Amino acid sequence: MLRRLFQWLDERLGLTTIHDVVLDRKVPKVNWWFTLGSASLFLFLLQGITGVFLTVYYVPSPDHAYDSVQYIMNEVRFGWLIRGMHHWGANLMVLVVFIHMLRTFFYAAYKYPRELTWISGVVLLLATLGMGFTGYLLPWNQRAYWATTVGTEIPGTIPIIGPFITSVLRGGSELSALTLSRFYSVHIWFLPAVITVTIGLHLYLVIRLGISHIPDEND
Amino acid sequence: MNGEHKQRYREKYTNAKQKGVKFFPDIIYKDLLVAFGLFILLIGLAVFVGVPNEPKADPNDTSYIPRPEWYFLFLFQLLKYFPGQIEWIGTAVIPGLAVLALFLLPFIDRNPYRHWSKRKLALGIMGTVVVGIVVLTLLAAFTTPPQPEAAVANTLREQIALGEELYALHCVECHGIEGEGGEIKGVPGLEGVTLKPINDQDVMYPFTDETLYNIIAMGQPLQGMPPFGRAFGGPLSPTEIEAIVAFMRYTWDDRVELPEEETVAAAMPTLKEGEVPSYDVHVAPIFKRYCVSCHVPGKKNNNYLMRTYEEVMTTGDHAPNIIPGDLGSNLIRMVHREEIEAGGPMPPTKALKPELVEILERWVLGGAPETAEQAAQASAKGAPLPTAAAPTEMP
Ligand code: HEC
Ligand code: HEC
Ligand code: HEM
Repeated sequence: MLRRLFQWLDERLGLTTIHDVVLDRKVPKVNWWFTLGSASLFLFLLQGITGVFLTVYYVPSPDHAYDSVQYIMNEVRFGWLIRGMHHWGANLMVLVVFIHMLRTFFYAAYKYPRELTWISGVVLLLATLGMGFTGYLLPWNQRAYWATTVGTEIPGTIPIIGPFITSVLRGGSELSALTLSRFYSVHIWFLPAVITVTIGLHLYLVIRLGISHIPDEND
Repeated sequence: MNGEHKQRYREKYTNAKQKGVKFFPDIIYKDLLVAFGLFILLIGLAVFVGVPNEPKADPNDTSYIPRPEWYFLFLFQLLKYFPGQIEWIGTAVIPGLAVLALFLLPFIDRNPYRHWSKRKLALGIMGTVVVGIVVLTLLAAFTTPPQPEAAVANTLREQIALGEELYALHCVECHGIEGEGGEIKGVPGLEGVTLKPINDQDVMYPFTDETLYNIIAMGQPLQGMPPFGRAFGGPLSPTEIEAIVAFMRYTWDDRVELPEEETVAAAMPTLKEGEVPSYDVHVAPIFKRYCVSCHVPGKKNNNYLMRTYEEVMTTGDHAPNIIPGDLGSNLIRMVHREEIEAGGPMPPTKALKPELVEILERWVLGGAPETAEQAAQASAKGAPLPTAAAPTEMP
């Protein structure tokens, strides 16, 4: 019975092919540094899950953002745990993604034929940093407010177009409700969408090209 | 990379794959192990380190020292080396070029070799950049001055306690300890003015939290109430004003009730028969609430400061005001509302509740211990009877 069900599904979904291509493939012998890519993926998924839970109670308005975060920390059951994991997960993800980049650099994995894997990786690195920057403002506390004030001032120093960039980031000349709603929407919709699509491409390339082998003295 | 190199690489790679392992289970197993390790690490960080609590954003507090996330610190530090006119080199040119170089790396680095020993230039450059980032981050971390500590409350009870403390510090001299109002004594400009109570239904019912917040933040300058909000030139942050409002609401509004566990926790620790109270647990809260508003530097108080144990025991024009074991100490006589050389009844306007006076007496009789442990030792010896009381050594 189960067999029949599996065959029925396999015929339509191609499960065996997926198994052969994704799971049953041969890869060169590699070391523990090669786990950091999948560790980045794991952290990204975990951020997604804890993040979705946080949006249940979080309110992106200057009047309520701070209180809603206090509410999550003090009233919501296990709210503190979810927020704590999201907070530390964000820090850890930046670290892990960065070290993953250093390891692909060290083993020259960006060279032929993996140039596009590297380029999509740079997009992922920048998007991850963007997540950190936009997420930092959301609790609307002193640290958040002033770090973002300074952070959005920085592009303002570029000649000619700088002030325009700052006002786009802030939605006005000062940090306001508009800034918060902009950052919020970038943090929960725009960047996660970019990251998801780019991870798709990244992983497609990794599976198609195979993971690089550790170079020996003759390489 | 030319065709020959490509060809050689492909052969080598196919070879390496043949000698390799299966993705499932060999690689997946390692990946899952690392993911699990990270998961445990995250739970540990969330449980044991947590997320530091910060006060609410206050756009008027320009004294706050901005602090970006740690992974942006190096950029922040880099900017310091490009002041004024050339700032845009640090903000746009260098980061822009760095990102561009990262994107184009596979095309910039045309060296066909892959082993580290044949890529010393590339590794040298990347190594320098990484060391530079680490050094800049450390520099930023060590040169940014520490933030002056700001008051934050984690729970409602802490918020109320903070509010109570702030109320005692800022409001008591005009509105009285319990918000009871009455005639103002000793406040320049308002001497003898009589204030209505602010602890009754006439104030608590019609005024919402927001109204109270605004009154405290902006003051009522026409009637003589100064503004307290930082935006209006006062000393208090929004978080602190909210704490005062919470204190007023939960203490004086008979319609609201604390959740039960909060009330129990907020109550003064009860004393058992023969137990000696300690400064830390029993006495400090009384002084904080009823005395500190006047007994801080800069107020009229015969230089008697009451913020710490040290100060309580040693300061004052008629020091010592507390002699361990002696119920004739100035402080005890004054809270019994006697008129003595050191001054009149304390607190001047309204008598302390008898239960509180009793706690002070039992504390002095027990040798005025500071910590709970010292108090426990004193209790073990048995609290001396009033007749047996003789001045003992200071603890
Ligand atoms: C320098 C004296 C002074 C200080 C200090 C002071 N107030 Fe007042 N307050 C006044 C005066 C005067 C009024 C006007 C009283 C009136 O209208 O009866 C007032 C009015 C108020 C009112 C409105 C009462 C009403 O019926 O309209 C509130 C609430 C209040 N104060 C709270 C506070 C709080 C909380 C603090 C401490 C942060 C504080 N005040 C500190 C003098 C003071
Ligand atoms: C409204 C302000 C105010 C409050 C509240 C207050 N004091 Fe005083 N205290 C004074 C002043 C003013 C003096 C100076 C003597 C005088 O003028 O009576 C003083 C003097 C004293 C002295 C004598 C100090 C010395 O060395 O001469 C003691 C002891 C004392 N206070 C204890 C207390 C205690 C205990 C409390 C709380 C239960 C308290 N005071 C609350 C205003 C205050
Ligand atoms: C969200 C961020 C990222 C995720 C989820 C991710 C995921 C992965 C995974 C699962 C692999 C398989 C091999 C391994 O685990 O090491 C991989 C390989 C690779 N990644 Fe990433 N990555 C991310 C960011 C980056 C960045 C920032 C770069 C570089 C700029 C990068 C460049 C590469 C390259 C070149 C490979 C091929 C390595 C090889 O074949 O040896 N990736 N990535």
